[in-house]
Amino acid sequence: MTNAVSQGTPATAPGARRSAASVFRSLEVDSRLLGMVITLIAIWIAFQILVPNGLFLSSRNLWNLSVQTAAVAVMATGMVLIIVSRNIDLSVGSVMAVVGMFMALIQARWIPTQLGFGFEQPWTWVVTVLAGLLLGAAIGGLNGLLVAFVGIPSFVVTLGGLLVWRSITIILSSGQTVSQLDPTFMLLGGGPRGSAGETVSWIIGIAVCAGIVYALYSSRRRRVRYGFPVRPLWSEVALGVLGCAAVLWAVWVANSFPWPTRLAEDYAAERGLAEVPVIGTGIAYPVLLALGVAAVMTILATRRRTGRYIYAIGGNPEAAELSGINTRRTLMWTFVIMGLLAAIGAIISTARTQSGTANAGEGMELSVIAAAVIGGTSFAGGIGTIPGAVLGALIIQSIITGMQLMRYDNSVVQIAVGVVLVVAVGIDTVARKRAR
Amino acid sequence: MGHWKRGLVGLGAASIVAASLMGTGAALAQDDEMIIGVSWNNYNEERWLNSDEPAIKAAVEAAGATYASTDAKSSAEQQLNDIDQLITQGADVLVILAQDQDAILPAVRQAEAEGIPVIAYDRIIQDPYVLYMTFDNVGVGRAMAEVIFGLVPEGNYAVIKGNEADENTRFLRGGMDEVIGDNWAPGAPGEHEPITIVCETYTDNWEPAKAQTNMENCLTSVNNDVQAVLAENDGMAGGVIAALEAQGLSIPVSGQDGDNAALNRVAQGRQAVSVWKDSRILGKAAGEAAIALASGTPKEQAIEGIIDFVSPNGTTLTSWFAELDVLTKDNVQNAVERGKITQEELCAGVEAGSIAACP
Repeated sequence: MTNAVSQGTPATAPGARRSAASVFRSLEVDSRLLGMVITLIAIWIAFQILVPNGLFLSSRNLWNLSVQTAAVAVMATGMVLIIVSRNIDLSVGSVMAVVGMFMALIQARWIPTQLGFGFEQPWTWVVTVLAGLLLGAAIGGLNGLLVAFVGIPSFVVTLGGLLVWRSITIILSSGQTVSQLDPTFMLLGGGPRGSAGETVSWIIGIAVCAGIVYALYSSRRRRVRYGFPVRPLWSEVALGVLGCAAVLWAVWVANSFPWPTRLAEDYAAERGLAEVPVIGTGIAYPVLLALGVAAVMTILATRRRTGRYIYAIGGNPEAAELSGINTRRTLMWTFVIMGLLAAIGAIISTARTQSGTANAGEGMELSVIAAAVIGGTSFAGGIGTIPGAVLGALIIQSIITGMQLMRYDNSVVQIAVGVVLVVAVGIDTVARKRAR
Repeated sequence: MGHWKRGLVGLGAASIVAASLMGTGAALAQDDEMIIGVSWNNYNEERWLNSDEPAIKAAVEAAGATYASTDAKSSAEQQLNDIDQLITQGADVLVILAQDQDAILPAVRQAEAEGIPVIAYDRIIQDPYVLYMTFDNVGVGRAMAEVIFGLVPEGNYAVIKGNEADENTRFLRGGMDEVIGDNWAPGAPGEHEPITIVCETYTDNWEPAKAQTNMENCLTSVNNDVQAVLAENDGMAGGVIAALEAQGLSIPVSGQDGDNAALNRVAQGRQAVSVWKDSRILGKAAGEAAIALASGTPKEQAIEGIIDFVSPNGTTLTSWFAELDVLTKDNVQNAVERGKITQEELCAGVEAGSIAACP
């Protein structure tokens, strides 16, 4: 063990003058990701100054922002893998709509009325969610089959899907909105009652914090064992502290957004409390769902064989095939995952609007692709990260929400998002050329 | 492989040609018959299929005339061909739901040259030759605002508008202004005006989820100090209400379309009004007017209630506006009586006896 430690040479020589650049190098953080975090912070500070009354960084707005980002962020993590494998999925908005409508019909019509089980069965939401995930995966599988095994370009397959699934949504619902959803299901869309509350949020925050520390520790130990260079200890500690601080700050923000007075009064009346309590909202369920998805997808992309195959295929399809990767099956899985994530997006969106609507997710494919691309995913294939896509989604929604709070018209907001998209990719492209 | 594919395409083309020839032949053979030709811009839309067409068809067939229709599948060019075909079939009147109000004009000229009356159905065609039959969209905005203004004569309003590129969005907004126009002043809350519009946003594609986000951001910006919301349709009203209820707010919200979900909310007291355009009324009237025109009645007398309407570009159009159903908790049972929604669906989650519709 001690022998192994001595083999691990620190990335920076001790005593070297620590310029800003070398500090970043020692942190060994993906520079693109770091750039995005800095961009996001800059956008937030700018809006905090520009939006009247300092509303932008209020706990309420940040909490709203987290919920508003959730569905796009979930779907963007899948889009990263799709684009990394040199494909595209234009059907995600329509798939989200059809799955959302399907789930709305299951819980509002089929289970309660057609099958006669009535409303508010405790298991309704479970059946609904499972059926939705199944449908999403099946549609993704169909896309994957047509792309990977029949060989139709994904642009064509999913362009077709965009039209087909939207139309099926309209037919399923006869163009009507379907409401009267299951109350438990609706909690998945957020709102004060659809949030984890203070205690649970703190527990989750501390658990995530412990996870970060453990991940840093185990990664260091592994590197040491194989004799790979390790970060200097101070940089490990700095990363751990920064990571934990960010997580705990987020929990603190979510907890410091109190329940609206009237809901708190209702709560007090329900429980027979004499005094109306101040209840911290905590992290919303859809946000927890999105964070969970992001974590699982990150592990899948970086630590699992399927994920590495996807990157290999995107980097060089011929080489991947020749080296024995079953490219067709891998591509198939990529689309199945995308379908599943579209279904999770549908769960969040349907629960949030408390209804299945025929035009849900119209144009969403573009937001999802934009989030992935702003997050550093390259259309050349092989490049893209899951956390980047989540940050991309957060940046887009921050711009939209911030400009709305400044009372800009929708068209001006769209211009800003479009410009940011092109500028972000432009900077990325130039930086990558220079790095070469 | 290539052979049978090519063969199949050839066969398909041949059968289309044969079918259209047969169609034309049949129509030409019975020229004494009265034919009402209807050109839909996009038959796929649920509303035309389920409400408008059956109503027109029933009115036409009740008079013993023949109903012929075409579908342009959202193509303005296809629609010109369709109308050619309807004229060739011997249509005595054309009912046109225009895909594009300008691109359709050559077809109107052609119909005029042939002496065939034209009804512009639902969507405007700004040409004095046509009889324009529609719902009064400005009237929808006016009706929404009347109900909301009646409930909240002073305070902060939010206006959640539809798609920015949609002419209808502006018609609705104009109608609202007819009610609250003299009373509202733009600007920050707190000005001493009876009504202050504190937020006003367009919503991409009329999408409920986006309306919800807009409303959340509105509530954040004014710290929940909103007393009423004018939402331009029911879907968006749903999103708006979800945003309001997440803040524990229960304030009057408007909508239109008579969505079943919205009517249920009206019955529950969560939405103040849904303006319902019963397209069966419009369809029936158009069918009857078409029969009258085909029998030689001048368009000014084709149906009762014809008025002159000055269009946005200043053309005076002979017009007919179908009556609107302004559904509030006091008269929402009309929707049940007219078969729009079942009692059960209307009253789901409604406290029994709280309104007349749900005893």
